[in-house]
Amino acid sequence: MEVIELDGLQVRLGSRTVLDGLTGVLKGRAIGLLGPNGAGKSTLINTLLGFHDPSQGTARVFGLDTREHKAEIRGRVGYMPENDSFIGNMSGVRFVRYMAELAGLPAKPALERAHEALFYVGLGEVRYRSVNTYSLGMKQLVKLAQALVHGPKLLILDEPTNGLDPIARQRMIQLVREVRDDGEVRLLISSHLLRDIDETCDEVLILKNGKLAALCNLDEERSSNRSFLELETVGATERFTVGIRGLGCEVACFPGGRIKLVLPERVESRDLYVIAAEQGVQIRRMNRRRDSLEDIFLKAMDSDVGRPTDVYL
Amino acid sequence: MSIYKHSYRAYTGRLTPVWSRVFVLVRYGFSEIWSSKITIVLFTLSLLPSIFFLFGIYLANNPLARALVGAKNVGFTSIDAGYFLAMLQIHCWLALVLTSWIAPRLITFDLADNALPVMLSHPISRFGYVAGKFIALFSSLSAITWVPCLLLFCYQAYASPQGWTGNHLRLAAGLFAGALIWILFLSILGIALSSWVKWRMVATGIIIAAIFIPAGVGGVVSGVLRTKWGMLLNLPITMSLLWQRLLGAAPSSLGRRVDLPTSAIVFSLLLAAVGCVAMLNARIRAREMVRG
Repeated sequence: MEVIELDGLQVRLGSRTVLDGLTGVLKGRAIGLLGPNGAGKSTLINTLLGFHDPSQGTARVFGLDTREHKAEIRGRVGYMPENDSFIGNMSGVRFVRYMAELAGLPAKPALERAHEALFYVGLGEVRYRSVNTYSLGMKQLVKLAQALVHGPKLLILDEPTNGLDPIARQRMIQLVREVRDDGEVRLLISSHLLRDIDETCDEVLILKNGKLAALCNLDEERSSNRSFLELETVGATERFTVGIRGLGCEVACFPGGRIKLVLPERVESRDLYVIAAEQGVQIRRMNRRRDSLEDIFLKAMDSDVGRPTDVYL
Repeated sequence: MSIYKHSYRAYTGRLTPVWSRVFVLVRYGFSEIWSSKITIVLFTLSLLPSIFFLFGIYLANNPLARALVGAKNVGFTSIDAGYFLAMLQIHCWLALVLTSWIAPRLITFDLADNALPVMLSHPISRFGYVAGKFIALFSSLSAITWVPCLLLFCYQAYASPQGWTGNHLRLAAGLFAGALIWILFLSILGIALSSWVKWRMVATGIIIAAIFIPAGVGGVVSGVLRTKWGMLLNLPITMSLLWQRLLGAAPSSLGRRVDLPTSAIVFSLLLAAVGCVAMLNARIRAREMVRG
């Protein structure tokens, strides 16, 4: 199911073109939105929420045009903004209930779900305190609670770990993973932190200067690199490489007993140990190469931003 | 979600109609207004004149009561357009005091912690948001302006000799229209000015200043340019003229000196209201405006 479809999306604010010609289809369970400051991440989120109208092209959320179906889209979306955004003089439970009622829940279910949402994010014990008295981490969590309370189909998180200490960050990431793994909610997560995206997302959209720099499926990228190994060996390397070629591996040898190889699907790494034992070769180190999101991001930043680029690893 | 299982559960129950979300804002607006003891004090004070005027009507229609209080003169008080004009004016100026207190409470809490992005990310439009706040304020002001005025008119109609009501229906219409125009204007003005100030006390001061500072400026303009049109900025005078004409009361000495056309007064009020709408349009947004 397509979560977000962008078709030549251009957004102008005043005389400035903030998003330019974005085209792509996002289907992931958790979609990461990456880009340097000013790349247009928040503008894209605001456009998806209907806060900005596209000046050209279209953006669709669950097939609904953001220009024509604002209310329907907002009814299906939970939004956690980057900055502080709450009513400080209200208690946590009252604030979350208020947001649930605005999303369309009747008063009684809204109250029930407000309690549940606050317990779910870990604010159950402080739900009767004014939001103003919450710590920064708690404020982030109450924003998450209000975004989840009405049971959205798409949860948009703008910098969810902004300003959190490592423990609070880990807690937030864990919550996001739980929501993702539950499978009922799709996620769109905007973050400066590659690690956050790497830990939570299966698809990533990278923006640079308002243009699409890369759009790739992280799961596919990860699985395509799963069979790429780097070995450090001691002993009769040449005979060993002949042996593993016999298994159908693509092999490249380097000085110092270093070998790079790609394992075919039917071959497992334990087969290499068997051949090594037969040839009297010691495998001192085996690295499974995995291109990090950082590699993808840096390649995207190096790419020509004038045109969308598929990132191959 | 479940409290005991701590696992996520999507909501599958009934949803309220989209149009009804405005009334969620109204309900929470009322709650915010009435959570303040000062609001209760101001509201009570705003209703005290009604008791005074009720007593006046009672005395005017009850010779025995007049005798008991020692007011034997038959003309102790005459319940006419002038009486109802005084009633309307007092209630309407008290409405300004109440507006200056409750309008900031409706808006500034949302703005102080930047709640608009979260609120407007729900299925409620900017118009719906303003409408919700407006209805909450307008309803509260109604309770101290046209509602008590019309109730007093009804009491007078009940207590007075037969035929009085038929001859004075214009008073009822004038009371309703005069109060309605004023509280509509106050509501939009109060919300617009409050939306630009994050601090409630400052917003309270600005709302009162927005009525009286232009009055002073208007006086200066009229004095320097020797024209009556500067008085259009003087809301206390223009509203007094409007109310007096709506009720058909005899013009006061000031009214005779400053003879502004009704159409000009209505136009100036409309112009100010349009300005308030423009202010709201610029301010009530989920995001700050980016100007390129």
